Parts: sequence; structure tokens; C-alpha cells
Amino acid sequence: MKDRLKDFISEHREEFDVYEPRPELWQEICQQIPAKRKEETKVIKFSFGDSFSFSGDMAFMRVAAAVILLIGCGLTLWFTKHNIPEGNYTLATTSKPAIQKIAPELTDIEAYYTSQLKHKKEELSAYDLKVLGLDEKRGIDRELARLDSSYIQLKKQLLTAPNTDKVMNAMIQNLQIRIEVLNRQLEVLQKIETLQKQTTEEQLNNETNV
Amino acid sequence: METSTYQDVNQQVVERCKGGDNRAQYELYKLYSKAMFNVSMRITNDYAEAEDVLQEAFISAFKNLHTYKSEASFGSWLKKIVVNAAINSIRKKRSELVPMDERMVAEVPDEVPDDNDVEWQIDKVRRAIQRLPDGYRVVLSLYLLDGYDHAEIGEILGVSESTSKSQYSRARKKLLEIMREPHFAA
Repeated sequence: MKDRLKDFISEHREEFDVYEPRPELWQEICQQIPAKRKEETKVIKFSFGDSFSFSGDMAFMRVAAAVILLIGCGLTLWFTKHNIPEGNYTLATTSKPAIQKIAPELTDIEAYYTSQLKHKKEELSAYDLKVLGLDEKRGIDRELARLDSSYIQLKKQLLTAPNTDKVMNAMIQNLQIRIEVLNRQLEVLQKIETLQKQTTEEQLNNETNV
Repeated sequence: METSTYQDVNQQVVERCKGGDNRAQYELYKLYSKAMFNVSMRITNDYAEAEDVLQEAFISAFKNLHTYKSEASFGSWLKKIVVNAAINSIRKKRSELVPMDERMVAEVPDEVPDDNDVEWQIDKVRRAIQRLPDGYRVVLSLYLLDGYDHAEIGEILGVSESTSKSQYSRARKKLLEIMREPHFAA
């Protein structure tokens, strides 16, 4: 027996899956599944006996606790938001509140390295690359952009990784590599500059000798 | 050969999940969430409800992973969980999926309605399925899109195989009616 509907759907089966859940859903799921290898989450039980429990007549306590918690969260968020220094150097700075929760120290680390990187960049831009006969600045920019994108990747992983320390270390390493790249470039430029000075001095000496 | 290595990889991820590895759990989620969400969406026909179901199903899957014995593929094991969660969800909210009187009338002639005048477009078919009443939509989706046969659908819904069959042919007829409606533009 022919069933055109069935044939049509099985021919185009893949195209019928058009929906996708919100990306945030994973985090909601993640919080509710047991992770055994991680250090067990400590659950502090409040038990004051049956007469003084949080259920039943103490329902208002829950509401009060919720309100205090909300105010607390709000204030922390507000303060941390206003603490992020304005850096015009491109570095994916933390803005997600979730990251703030996972790694609160990240904002400070990022702020420190951002200012360091900015400083190095300023030093670098003092050199005139064309005069020194160098045109590899684009290569360095590309390298820095690559580092920045892997930094963003790491930051995403921070949200889901069980071992945040490892990810954090990788992120810090990433920032250190950037500074190292800029340092190397500065060294190279300094060497070239001194070499050029020497050669021009020699030339001058030669000319005067002639 | 390729399928077996794929299975192995999957099996490894599942094993890591059993050990509580968060990264492995995310890997499985990434691999299956879209397909499972569509399964859930077809049954519930509601985005928020489908998400609740997906969340509930994944949590229960990760918690009960030790009961998964790799006889079936992980995907079909997970899908069963999603389907059951979705059906429970709509049962809670709505009345019987298959009305009592239809459970009694088992045999319905397998007439195939004329479908030559119907315009076959994926989007149109999909939207028409969404407009079916719950009972019809669930049976039709499980049969046509999720690859269950009538015996399995009967088991899932707690009805007989022949009820699933007759419910499907009614659903199919209704679907063609919807698609023929003059206002149901593509």
C-alpha cells in the first residue's frame, strides 16, 4: 500500500528537525546532575528540630531569604560591573555574570594583563617599522588575534569545565604568551635599531676616512 | 567498520559520563540535544514545555546512566526517555491522548485517501502536523518521524497495536484535510 506522506517524510527526514533549545539550557541541566569526580558539593543541612523547621509556618523565612539573596546578587553584579576598567585594547573581557560566579578573580587578572598589553603595544608603536625595513607587524597582529580567539574559547569552556583551575591556568598562559610575543618583537626591533646605528656610524667613519 | 568505531567512541563517552565526567556529559548533550529537542517539541507542541521535558530527560538519563546496558544504541535509549517524559508532560496537562471510544473501535479500514492534489512541501507538512490534535499528532510523529512501529507506539501509549494503527490513519486523513484548507497557505 502506497503512503505518499510516509515516503515524503522519510525522504526529507532531516529537514523536519527545525527546532533548537536555548544554548543556556545546558547550564541549567548541568547544575542538576551529579558530578562524582568533582569534589562533592557540600550540603549544609539546617535542622532545628521539628518545632523550628523551615517548612510550614516558617514559610516567610524562605521569602525573606530569597529577597536577601536577590539583593545580594544584584549588588555584587552592580559593583563588579562598575569595577571593570575600560580598556580599548581588544581582549575579550568578562561580562557574563556566570563567569563572575565561577572565577571571580578573572576580572582582576584580565584588567592587569590588559594594561600590560596596552603598555607593550604603545612601546612597539614608538618604532617606525618601515624605517627599520620590517613589515611583519601584520603577522604579529594575526598571532595576537589567534590567541584572543582561543582565549574566548577557553572562557566558554570555563562555564562547562569541571576543573576550572586548569582552564584558568590555560587562560593566564594565553595572556602571558601574548606579552611574550610582544616582548620578542620589541627585542628584535631594538637589535635592528642598534645594528642600523652601527652601520650608519661605520659608513660615516668610512666617508670621513676617505 | 565505521559504525563500529563510532559506536566505540560513543561508548567511551558514555563510560566517562558514568564516572561523572562533566565534559563527557556535555559532549553527549551536544550530540543529542537538537534531535531530542525536536522529538520533545513534536509531542508537546510547545517550546517551553519541550525545553522542560528535555531538561528533565537529560537529568534523568545522566542519573540513571548505570541502567544503560548498551544493548540498544545510546541514542535510542535516550530517545525513549525523552518520549516518555514528553508524553507524561502532556498527559498531566491534557486529558486522554487516545479517547476511550477510539480504543474500543480497533479496526478501521486502511483506506488511503487521495493525496494527489496535495502540495508536498516540508514546511507545509510540518506546520500541518503541528495543527493536529494532540492524540493524532503524537501517534503520527512517533510513527513517521521517530521511526517507531505500531506495536512500540501501542506500548508507549498504553494502547493496543491496532489502536495505534487506526489512530495513525485518522491522523493522516486529518493532516491531508488541513493541508487542503484554502487558508492554509504555504
